[in-house]
Amino acid sequence: MSKYILLLRNDPSGWEKMSPEDMQKWMQRYIDWNNKPYVVQSDRLDSFTGRVMQKKDGKLSVTDGPYGESHEVLGGYYTIEAKDFDEAVKLSSDHPHAEHGTVEIREIMAMPEHGRG
Amino acid sequence: MTEEVQGEPGGPVLLEHLFRREAVRIVAWLARQLGSQHLQLAEDAAQEAMLRAAQLWPFRGVPERPEGWLFRVAYNHAISALRKGVRFDDKAEALIAALESRGEQTDALDLDETLRDDELCMIFMCCHPEISQDARVALSLKLVAGFGVGEIARVFLVDEATVAQRLVRAKKVIREKRLPLAMPRKAALSVRLDSVLEAIYLMFSGGYAASSGEILIRQDVCMEALRLGRLLAASWLGAPRVDALVALMALQAARLPARTDAAGDLVLLEEQNRGLWDTGLIGLGFSYFGRAIVGDAVSVWHVQAAIAATHAMAQSAQSTDWKAILGHYDQLAEMTGSPVVAMNRAVAVMQVHGAAAGLRALEPLAGHAAFRGYYLLPAVRGRMLMELGRMAEAEDAFAEALECECSEPERRFLREQLERARILAAIGA
Repeated sequence: MSKYILLLRNDPSGWEKMSPEDMQKWMQRYIDWNNKPYVVQSDRLDSFTGRVMQKKDGKLSVTDGPYGESHEVLGGYYTIEAKDFDEAVKLSSDHPHAEHGTVEIREIMAMPEHGRG
Repeated sequence: MTEEVQGEPGGPVLLEHLFRREAVRIVAWLARQLGSQHLQLAEDAAQEAMLRAAQLWPFRGVPERPEGWLFRVAYNHAISALRKGVRFDDKAEALIAALESRGEQTDALDLDETLRDDELCMIFMCCHPEISQDARVALSLKLVAGFGVGEIARVFLVDEATVAQRLVRAKKVIREKRLPLAMPRKAALSVRLDSVLEAIYLMFSGGYAASSGEILIRQDVCMEALRLGRLLAASWLGAPRVDALVALMALQAARLPARTDAAGDLVLLEEQNRGLWDTGLIGLGFSYFGRAIVGDAVSVWHVQAAIAATHAMAQSAQSTDWKAILGHYDQLAEMTGSPVVAMNRAVAVMQVHGAAAGLRALEPLAGHAAFRGYYLLPAVRGRMLMELGRMAEAEDAFAEALECECSEPERRFLREQLERARILAAIGA
């Protein structure tokens, strides 16, 4: 089994316009997804604190998020297990977030097995 | 109504409408503590709590007591919002102190009891005579029923901007006139209660009006109006006319499952499969009706409930006691002088005395301002004309109805009627 990470990006203001009922319905879909057996880990990131740090020529620069657009805000991530990339994509294809923002899926590189002895 | 749960088996599930219910309770509680001039702050705090839940619960799981969690987050948000305003508002300190002392007590208080009171105060504020009538319903739907602007717009077939504008205007009145979040004084109670009952029924009929494909949300609106009615009936404000309104709504809501067919098309009362009527709601309706008829006072709600009860009692459309219904409509027309009641009465006249008499009863209504752009009057006339075999005139009447604004199912129904009149005219029936 390999591990894959799902990066959820969205514009948090989309949620603010929802009615309580819609918000609950959406949330329930996320909850349901989170309970799938192949979800290993998941967490939510705060949408409003984001700083990017970079050191160039010994000088540290700190800027507000990398985001050119508000819909690029990284809102959370999941780690899932699948036998290969195709399966991982298939398993993730029904994530409700895809209707809200974007879901980026990447394989977490495994340490190559070194020849022993 | 059963409390249904959502979600997949095994996963955490939330009570149906939890957010809607809690949003209302939080706003009502906070606004009552802080005063109606801080209504916006209360709404923001409730919104913040739900946003936070929507962000965290999917990842961290649903907390043990979701209601308490939401309440606490909203409460904290309100306190910190007030803190930020301390520099500009010299009363903020006092409000924070008051809120903190009340907040400490909430764990010990019978919260349900307090919240019911808060909700009643909120209903009365939303239906305050200072607020325009169309805004009363929108405001009640927002603050007492927990619907969003988009949902309200979909139910009343107006655009969101119109609803938003009504709400803004109503809230301005609340702020500027300092409408209190309190029960009305004894002297004004009766009039104020009538205004509340009217708004609740307008809410109900908005949901009941057979339009658009949004059946679910419409049923929710009906059920919410019914809940509010029962809330009033169970409180110290309970009065026979409140029971009568609840009876009316329950008996009408019982027919909801039979009013549209699988394709979403309208089914007229006489063609409805009565087996689909909700027997639980009918039972509820009759029990409230029984309570309503103690005492001598007869309100418009009593008479309308009596009409709904007569329909509910009929085993079939054919065995409907139209004479009794006509008698009720006579009384209602006298009480209200409403042209819409007069139109419904004409239908009862047709059932009792025939289509020609029905048509005569409709005549005085022609050209009445209340029916401008309203499809129902020409549609009813078309039906009576068809009954009389005057197909060409019936066709014209249905064409006229189709020119009015109406929902897709209504439009399909009218087109069907028009086609029938045309075909029958062609074969000389």
